[in-house]
Amino acid sequence: MTSATAVLPPAAARRGERGSRFLRLFLPLGLYLVFTVVPFYWMLLFALRPAGSASLLPWPLTLEHFGTVWNDMGFRVYFQNSVWIALLTLLFVTFFALMGGYALARFEFRGRRLFMLALLCTQFVPGAMMLIPLFNIFQTLDLIDSRWSLIIAESTFQLPLAMILMSGFVRNVPVELEESAMVDGCGRIRAFLAVVLPLLRPGIVAVGSFAFIGSWNNFLFALMFLNDPELQTVPVGLQTTIGENTVDFGALAAGGVVAAVPVVLVFAVVQKYLVQGMSAGAVKG
Amino acid sequence: MSSILRTTAAALAALGLLTACSSTGSSTDAGGGAKVTVTYWDNNAGPARTPLFQHLIDEFEKANPTITVKYVGVTSSEVAEKYNTAIASGSTPDVGGVTTALLASLTAQKALAPLDDLYAKSSLNGRLAANFLATSKAASGGKGLFQLPSSGNQDVIWYRADKFKAAGLAAPKTWDELFADAAKLTDKGANQYGFTIRGGAGAGFQVLSEAYAYSGVAEMFDASGRSTVDDPKNVALIEKIAAQYKTTTPEADVSNAYPQMLAQFQANQVMMVHHNLGSTKDVKTALGDKVAGFLLPAGPDGTSVLANPVDGFGLFKNSKHQAQAWKFIEFLDSHASNSYWNENVGQIPANTEAYADEWYAKSGITKEAGDLLNASGTKLVQPPVYLPQYSKITKTDAEPAFQKVLLGKTSAAEFAKGVADALTKAQADYKSKNG
Repeated sequence: MTSATAVLPPAAARRGERGSRFLRLFLPLGLYLVFTVVPFYWMLLFALRPAGSASLLPWPLTLEHFGTVWNDMGFRVYFQNSVWIALLTLLFVTFFALMGGYALARFEFRGRRLFMLALLCTQFVPGAMMLIPLFNIFQTLDLIDSRWSLIIAESTFQLPLAMILMSGFVRNVPVELEESAMVDGCGRIRAFLAVVLPLLRPGIVAVGSFAFIGSWNNFLFALMFLNDPELQTVPVGLQTTIGENTVDFGALAAGGVVAAVPVVLVFAVVQKYLVQGMSAGAVKG
Repeated sequence: MSSILRTTAAALAALGLLTACSSTGSSTDAGGGAKVTVTYWDNNAGPARTPLFQHLIDEFEKANPTITVKYVGVTSSEVAEKYNTAIASGSTPDVGGVTTALLASLTAQKALAPLDDLYAKSSLNGRLAANFLATSKAASGGKGLFQLPSSGNQDVIWYRADKFKAAGLAAPKTWDELFADAAKLTDKGANQYGFTIRGGAGAGFQVLSEAYAYSGVAEMFDASGRSTVDDPKNVALIEKIAAQYKTTTPEADVSNAYPQMLAQFQANQVMMVHHNLGSTKDVKTALGDKVAGFLLPAGPDGTSVLANPVDGFGLFKNSKHQAQAWKFIEFLDSHASNSYWNENVGQIPANTEAYADEWYAKSGITKEAGDLLNASGTKLVQPPVYLPQYSKITKTDAEPAFQKVLLGKTSAAEFAKGVADALTKAQADYKSKNG
């Protein structure tokens, strides 16, 4: 069998292969990267260059917009609020998803499939539809203008999907491991904590990071349930940089960077676990 | 054992977080119950307005030590949803910022308290511009006064005074002069255009205000209840505007909203931009003396008809502190506060005492617009914002339809007829339900 590469000298074949690889792989990926990176660059550019500058490079470099949003526009407070709310949502969602997911994966009980179907169906209801009922409930509980309203609402909305995901992760842990631990004298809780929980680390990280990011980015509930500026969160704060006729682009971009940093950090730290989590159980053997 | 210890530590950490988060920050009346907190929702919070309100609130609290005002800034794009949710759940604020566009929806839901009696007994009585009060009453469907006006807005065409001067041109007085100037100032090779059309968000209302200014038609409906939007004179102006597209305007105008139009104006790409007094500070900050403004030009018969959008305050019916809330509204509309506010936002004060202030006398286009608005012979057209379908007709339906006119896919007459038919039907529905 002959081929074009077979008759070419080795150096030319390598060049041809590199050219083909460039066209097939690097060019499309490079174009995709441009679409992905340019908006971020634009945001950084507006955040780091002086107001009114048309330079395409952040030079002269200024941190004045960060000072404005952090100190004058209240982002220091918004950031703290967002961190607390997102962390507590993460804790609640992860804890209850672990409990619920374990039960769904390990116990056979009447209506289990129906329950899972109901959990899935909750994802079809948009948050905006639930605003007024939730508002009334929180008002009755005196939770309007309290961070708890956000934590509860966000946890409740995220929990169904988190439970379904977690039940998948639990199923991937061989039940025999737990049974062996129980034969060795562990109770179910001890067996879960000592044997299953460490193996669920990728799942916990995946569910927890989605819970954190979902809560961090939530705008609607924060806008509706919180009135006090001292309780507001970063997404609502970002919106206040946009007036009806005035947009403070420098402040908006600096606020955007402040909002994006935790999300980028979360993904940077957990991405290896996420990859493990996504592919867990893909190959059995 | 170590795993149990770790679990306990995690639980304690979670408890610590819970404790840290337990402060709701909700304000309570301090001082043995003597102090009252009035909640105020700003309907257009943003970097330009919020600090002004914070200053006014500080002044009010100094003058009224028993009243605390809790400011809640809501952006204009979200305020309708926030008000509607609050009304549906019975948790409205004491006082809210209300534009004439919002007024219809709030009065239809019976959320606001009538202010006629309070105003009649107030020291403000007789000190607020009559045209503003008339607009407020008309915007709530003529059922009374539900908004105490604070500012009047007016459509303005900002133009590059320096470029006009260099070209030997003066500010146009008629639409035909405007189009002629736009042609002279257009240099496509240099990416410079004489005019810009709003084709994106807000296009429907803007082109209608241009059409009525040109036609001189002062009523939105004729005696039989038929909308006047498709009046031949209105259609003529819409045709003239559409003819400017890509001739004296940038191609991107078909989807441009105000921020993009302003960006083009500030970047020397367009020489005239139609907006309103709300952008006074922006254009002056960006371009200083290089920019000046003129009111919408007159049509062929020499009369210009103006719309009169009014901003103001509403007192919510569910407020438990009606007296204190009204006191706050009165303070905001007092001579000093109203003057401070309008000087800083560049709009026309509702409090007529402010017209004697130095800043107003020197304000140029703001005074010009105010004088015209308050002149006895001025014709005002009141957009039917009281119709529940008004926003859908002028935004959701009219904006894409106007884009089709710009792109030559439909005619100006068909566009105008579509809007007119929808408004006629909505008016008939409104009349049948409200008499």
